[in-house]
Amino acid sequence: MTQHAQGGTHFQPERFGDFPTMKEALIARKLDATFMIVPLAMKLVADGVPVKIVYLGHRDGSALTVAIDSPVKDFTELAGKRVAIPSRYSNQHLLMRRMMKLRGMDQGSIELVEMPPPEMPGALAAKAIEGYIVGEPHNAKAELGGYGRVLYFMKDLWPQFISCGLVVRQEVINERPELVQELVRGIAASGLWLDDDDEALAIEHRRRASEVVGKVFYNQDPKLLEHVLTKPLERVSYSNLVPPKATFDEIMDLAVEMNVIGRRMAFEEYCDTRFAPDLGVLPRVTNFPPPPAASGTGAK
Amino acid sequence: MSVTAFVTAALAAVAIVASRGLRQRAQAVVLPVATGVLLLALWHLWAESTRYEIATPGEPVRTVEVFPTPERTLVAFRELLSDGRLLRYSIASLFRVAVGFLLAAAIGIPLGLWAGWSTRASYSINPFVQALRPISPLAWIPIATLTFGIRDEAAIFIIFLGSFFPIVTGTMSAVRSMPVAYVRSAHNFGLRKFELLAHVVFPAALPQIITSLRIALGVAWLVIVAAEMNAIQSGLGFLIVDARNMGMRYDLVVAAMLVIGAIGIGLDFLVRRLERIDSVRWGFTKE
Repeated sequence: MTQHAQGGTHFQPERFGDFPTMKEALIARKLDATFMIVPLAMKLVADGVPVKIVYLGHRDGSALTVAIDSPVKDFTELAGKRVAIPSRYSNQHLLMRRMMKLRGMDQGSIELVEMPPPEMPGALAAKAIEGYIVGEPHNAKAELGGYGRVLYFMKDLWPQFISCGLVVRQEVINERPELVQELVRGIAASGLWLDDDDEALAIEHRRRASEVVGKVFYNQDPKLLEHVLTKPLERVSYSNLVPPKATFDEIMDLAVEMNVIGRRMAFEEYCDTRFAPDLGVLPRVTNFPPPPAASGTGAK
Repeated sequence: MSVTAFVTAALAAVAIVASRGLRQRAQAVVLPVATGVLLLALWHLWAESTRYEIATPGEPVRTVEVFPTPERTLVAFRELLSDGRLLRYSIASLFRVAVGFLLAAAIGIPLGLWAGWSTRASYSINPFVQALRPISPLAWIPIATLTFGIRDEAAIFIIFLGSFFPIVTGTMSAVRSMPVAYVRSAHNFGLRKFELLAHVVFPAALPQIITSLRIALGVAWLVIVAAEMNAIQSGLGFLIVDARNMGMRYDLVVAAMLVIGAIGIGLDFLVRRLERIDSVRWGFTKE
């Protein structure tokens, strides 16, 4: 899968600092596949960009974080406060709107502001916002920094929360379906490995993943990633990664209702689940390599 | 590829070459118009070249647009004009630039005069002005957010920084390059230090200060996109950032870019008028 896996095609990971740049690379066909916030992927399809969501990367993995000394104890107490969301086209945004609906709050009662995720912890520390809802590791950063506390994990707000999907260009699906298949199988196998039924093994695997991913790919502090992956274990999960039609329909309905997307689209229009492998026959990850000596080269 | 665009580009190129025979005043009209048409045609051709077709089994072949053509951009421009965003956002941006720029002038001109006049002040201030000057306002965004939060003040601070350093540096060098004769004769008239600064040094340096203000205003307008990047909910810079966040609204991005350019020309024109005022012209620079 990558240079750290057991053979196969080498997929080259590329790190982007924000959604727009990533989206532009995808539109310009400089990028073939990416993990993208689901409503943004839907919006791209609605706007005529030929891409499809073929799989998920993880479930949950986001949190609603407030300042450590914030008086807020319950979601409804966020009324009148300013909360940062990663993008209007994020499912975190839709979740906030869904929660306001469920709790009988006015849609405008929480002031939602869009902010690039890396800037959220700083804005929280500077008291520019009351809290933020975003994917990891930005919640863990505030926790480990000692100025933030997680008000809710996703299991408390929208269990099995879907933030990002694996988005692939239609051209690649048409012309190289076997590549897409291989990529999805690799992700599924990694998911099985990270979510090992034996909890002790799952923790062990996640620790090793933190080291390799932190050092080799994204130049992140392995301690931070380990916190994200193991404390608690259910902060993020890597099971149930086939795009579920019912949940996606719900996201689509919310997006249309909240004016995020102009027209309602059928699941098949933006999803292609044919690559989802049968997990029962998927080969298990057996010889995960030890972390290489820190050469600091990062992903090529 | 549309033939029309090719023909238009060719005609514009011919007009540029043929205008050589025209009188100067005619050239002043023909050349910018022909070059503008040529650029539009090239833009159109380039936008068309980024289009591609996709054939998915079981679906009709369809064309995917990547980059907006001038026509699409015009439609986006009309959209901005008719829903009032264009006016609202232009005013919001101009307001932030005005406040940031005026603050920079109010602090930068006295500081520059002082640092240009007093060697001790120059020793103290100059190294730090010169060290901070090359730092892009983009780099200051996190600091602005941490200091001012996500409000107008943060954007104004970024604009202030963009224009402050050219003003200080310009004023300082204006004072330094002033002929010594001015100061000597002022001394002969028995002027005190403050009077000297206010009545001789400042007016003598004014033409160069105005030039530095002109550059500074250009920079202030230049950094508007950076200044409005962070969760500010209005302005032309915000429009670009916001349109980038949407699915495929690069027509809005380009329309906003063109509006920023047009307003930039307008601002520069206004400051140039300032340079022509008589009381400004008596300085030692020759026009």
